[in-house]
Amino acid sequence: MLEISDLTVRYRTPVGEIEALTSIDVRAERGRTLALVGESGSGKSTVALAAMGLLPSESVVASGRIVFDGQELGALDEGARRKLRGSRLGLVFQDPFSVLNPSLTIGEQVGEGLVHHRGFTQAQAQARAVELLDEVGIVNPAAIAKAYPHELSGGMRQRALIAGALAPEPAVLILDEPTTALDVTIEAQILDLLEALRARRGLAMLFISHNLAVVHRIADEVAVLYAGQIVEQGRTRDVLTRPMHPYARGLLAAIPRFDDRRRRLAAIPGRLPDLRAPPAGCRFLARCPFAAPGCEAPQSLRSLDARAVRCVRANELRDTHWPRPQDPEQARGARNDAAAVVSIERLTKTFTLGRGWRFSGWRPRKEEIVLRPVDDVSLDIRPGEVVGLVGESGSGKTTLGRTILRLIEADCGEIRINGEVVSQRPQRNLEAMRRAAQIVFQNPDSSLNPRKTVGALLARPIERFGMAPRAEVPARVRALLERVRLPAHYANRYAHQMSGGEKQRVGIARALATEPRFIVCDEPVSALDVSVQAAIVNLLADLRDDLGVAFLFISHDISVVAHFADRIAVMNRGKLVELGEADQIMRAPRHPYTIKLLSAVPRLPAA
Amino acid sequence: MTAYIVRRLVFILLVLAAVSILVFAITSLLPANVAYLILGPFAPPEQVRALEVKLGLNDPIWRQYLRWAGGFLTGDLGVSTLMNRPIAPMLAEAIGRSLMLTGASFFLIASIGVGLGVAAALRHGRALDHSVSVGAYLGIAVPEFFWAIVVIMVFASWLGWLPASGYEPPSAGFWIWAKHLIAPTITLVFGHLAHVSRLTRSSMIEVMQSPYVTAARAKGLPERVVVLHHALRNALLPTITVLALDFGRLMGGIVVVETIFAYPGLGRLIVFSIQNRDLPTLQASILVVAAIYAVANLVADLLYARFNPKIRYGRNVG
Amino acid sequence: MSDEARHSSDGEPPAPRRRRWSAQLKVGAALTAAILIASLLAPWIAPHPWDTISMRTRFLAPNATYWLGTDDYGRDVLSRMLMGGRLSIAMGVSATLVSLALGVPMGLAAGYFRGWIDEALMRFADVLMAIPAIMLGLLVLAVTPPALWKTALAIGFVYTPLIARITRSVTLSLANEEFIQAARARSESNAYILFREILPNAWPPLLVEASLRVTYAILLGAALSFLGLGAQPPSSDWGLMIAEARSFLDRAPWIALAPGLAMCLLVIGVNLLGDGARERLDPRIKAGVGKS
Repeated sequence: MLEISDLTVRYRTPVGEIEALTSIDVRAERGRTLALVGESGSGKSTVALAAMGLLPSESVVASGRIVFDGQELGALDEGARRKLRGSRLGLVFQDPFSVLNPSLTIGEQVGEGLVHHRGFTQAQAQARAVELLDEVGIVNPAAIAKAYPHELSGGMRQRALIAGALAPEPAVLILDEPTTALDVTIEAQILDLLEALRARRGLAMLFISHNLAVVHRIADEVAVLYAGQIVEQGRTRDVLTRPMHPYARGLLAAIPRFDDRRRRLAAIPGRLPDLRAPPAGCRFLARCPFAAPGCEAPQSLRSLDARAVRCVRANELRDTHWPRPQDPEQARGARNDAAAVVSIERLTKTFTLGRGWRFSGWRPRKEEIVLRPVDDVSLDIRPGEVVGLVGESGSGKTTLGRTILRLIEADCGEIRINGEVVSQRPQRNLEAMRRAAQIVFQNPDSSLNPRKTVGALLARPIERFGMAPRAEVPARVRALLERVRLPAHYANRYAHQMSGGEKQRVGIARALATEPRFIVCDEPVSALDVSVQAAIVNLLADLRDDLGVAFLFISHDISVVAHFADRIAVMNRGKLVELGEADQIMRAPRHPYTIKLLSAVPRLPAA
Repeated sequence: MTAYIVRRLVFILLVLAAVSILVFAITSLLPANVAYLILGPFAPPEQVRALEVKLGLNDPIWRQYLRWAGGFLTGDLGVSTLMNRPIAPMLAEAIGRSLMLTGASFFLIASIGVGLGVAAALRHGRALDHSVSVGAYLGIAVPEFFWAIVVIMVFASWLGWLPASGYEPPSAGFWIWAKHLIAPTITLVFGHLAHVSRLTRSSMIEVMQSPYVTAARAKGLPERVVVLHHALRNALLPTITVLALDFGRLMGGIVVVETIFAYPGLGRLIVFSIQNRDLPTLQASILVVAAIYAVANLVADLLYARFNPKIRYGRNVG
Repeated sequence: MSDEARHSSDGEPPAPRRRRWSAQLKVGAALTAAILIASLLAPWIAPHPWDTISMRTRFLAPNATYWLGTDDYGRDVLSRMLMGGRLSIAMGVSATLVSLALGVPMGLAAGYFRGWIDEALMRFADVLMAIPAIMLGLLVLAVTPPALWKTALAIGFVYTPLIARITRSVTLSLANEEFIQAARARSESNAYILFREILPNAWPPLLVEASLRVTYAILLGAALSFLGLGAQPPSSDWGLMIAEARSFLDRAPWIALAPGLAMCLLVIGVNLLGDGARERLDPRIKAGVGKS
């Protein structure tokens, strides 16, 4: 149906020309789903834009043919391409909020493809829009059609977008990370929907994602991209159970798995090559543990075992495993049954929003919306223990973490840290607590002061709490950097000179500077690529083993939490619905919400 | 939405009250004896005292304020110390004439400025865009009074097409009335055009690069539809705010422009009252200006609320 | 030995930052520097004394001796213009400094502490902004005998609410950054957070805004001088020069044109510089002026 051959796309940027895609071959066939998988910088979104003819003006298509239903798209003029776009080729974007026009109703945005491509009238388009909204599982479609985007939740918006893309009955549907911004339970529903639609309408789907588990769930065939090239392509099941290309192997070794929780994750060291001057040989060479002299030669995609692999050594490496760090000898969390480091009892936090005035008739009434992100939560954390806190967005997990540290003031409840009651203390008496309890943040771009060097950032907590005399501070800073596995000269770097993973390491080092007994990790790896994530998770595990620090590890990603935690706490709408040993929760959850949550998580096939 | 309107109204009334206090305070509490300012530093003391009594200057300050503010609410704006006439009718006439000027100017600024801004944004990076940007720089850099002088030199002295000053009422004939308006209008429009077109342009560029515009293109909609139907309504929303701000600056602009063109409007009245120490007139004029500006802002707020679905339709459904 | 030890970096490379100055920035910088330097060195480079009256040399058109001609008192226009530049620039800069001194603390406090402080300060700013700038300036200057330093003060006062709004906007966006939360997690005092964490990040956009404000201050000051409420004769402030030249426009247009063009060039230069600098800044930290 849609065939892309030899596509090479370059972007002109202020710092040079970047080759985003090199000689890509992709086919989407009727009734089948092909997934394009890659991390940031792989070029996968560019493929989608190229297929639709939506490449930005700074881009240059250096080579390639795109053939749709027998027609070569490059030979068509813009008018003809436009007619195909949206009507026979549909695209669903990633972030459902910003992709909808805030000033137009849902119904209008769903139906406009019909008006312009199929000659429907507004009324006919509106009616059809309501039918489509129903088909994608939206309750009360007639009302929603008249609503505006800001009135809908994330899941509903995504469904509406899918409805809009399907309206003109396209033959090919391209989806660019359609579920990345959604909660896992909603994601499961959307994936079900997509499968049903594909079957019912015989669509050819091109599904772009970084999430291998989702891909396993929905795709028949998968192509793995790295640095603008396809490095492996084949049937999903085959590629994900027995990957051949070293990068694919590395990726799969880096992902935490439900079934094999204690196994140490393998990280992929190094960086993407500079795409302004891509290496002539294997682009993965700098990071590949199997590199050998033959790898500098240009690699081509070869057939092997009903797959295509871009690796000279693929055949000989068939039975070699990606090098994995040694699993720790003993079960972690050497927790003595000493007194809890952190103990919270009946903690509650309420937010009152929307203090507006409404008019009922002539009388003004005060209107309030009450949110309770933390609702009567009690929890103990023992020394050296990792408690994983999972929940979807809006569950209150981030609020809980910050409330424990008194960055947000609770309404009631008791907080004890290191045995001392700290919930009632005035803010200025919290020094001791702040030394003992620290936090690592989510967003590496926002967690470091851009004007300070790493050295200054790390020195501050040391100086602030008098951890060492002046003269010793540089030595301490160096020690901290070493502990998070950054070279000492990084002390002179600024935030903008570091990658995401490096910035997170600095954030962790900063939290460690006060030698705390307890650290709240607020989604510390959510903003990172999978390969980088593994390294950070391993680092945290080692820190826990070496230093005996207790963690509250907050994440929406259950696999990561399960990999690392001793106990797991599940939150839903402010309430702690289940708390128990990690193994037990993963194998035999009790609370209905936990069951629902766990069943929604897409899984990888066993290796 | 109703609640929003009421809130804005109450807010504006409060601000105006505060402005009245501010205006009164500045003119009354500064360390300068008003009577001496009016009569000159060498006036005999009895005359000064008599004037003080006449102006009620010996009363406690708050009583003076209340008297003054109270007068406002009943339509009595005081008496001009310069011309010994009630201020209200003078002011009304002056406002009328200034509104002709500002009305024409605002209309031109809004239509041409927004039009140029949108056009430049759509041809981003090309000739029109660059010339609009260059023009904008010039427009911002040239001070109004200088530009006025250039206009007078070119159109009045050199070409003799337009009168250099003055005003004729519409009753004197449409074309005669219009001719006196043209030069000051051109002067006002030029500088403000730059400002509005620049801001509209950047708003439009931002919208054209937004994800929902890309999504609209991805649906294969004709470019015309994408621009007019999708982009414009979102780009023009911040333009409403910009135009409201610009209205205020326009009112500031008439001070200088009316003075240069000897156009008998509110601006010239203010300058005269300053030069002649006619404090009551000054106070009344400024408060009226603030009120007009406040109304303009209210109108802008209402339009913004009307066209922004988030404010108009508030709460969530899903 | 695990592969971890090989770590010196992970993930995608950070975007490179070194970039050449744009043409806009270069032209702006050159223009601004030229005028600034000329004005600063005015007492030494002015070819003639700026205040010597000479009835013989009145209204001379630009020629070899008097490059920009002479005015109605026979004074050299070029020299007066150069000296006037110092006045205008000094006034613009001092007015802006006043508005920064008053407005930045207001904006910081409003943006950081929020709550009633924010409300009070912003309402106050709203009240000041309810009167168009030039009229507020007129009001303040109306009740005291005019002098250039008073004009500078008045203009500073007039622009304070705008600076406060901009500072508040920048502070608001910074206060949401996680490194501020990290500072609170260290029990840092409010003073430390404001002055050592927020302010160093707020300066760059503020500085850009301030430089643009200087041009507006110069323009407003010239307008006020033009109306007789700023510099007084025989000063050669640009606004005053243009006001005095009004009566002689047909005879000697150069008297008005010279200072006018000089002002335009300075404002254009600083605007180019400011806009160019703004484009280079970290796009995360935006300085917007909206309705509070």
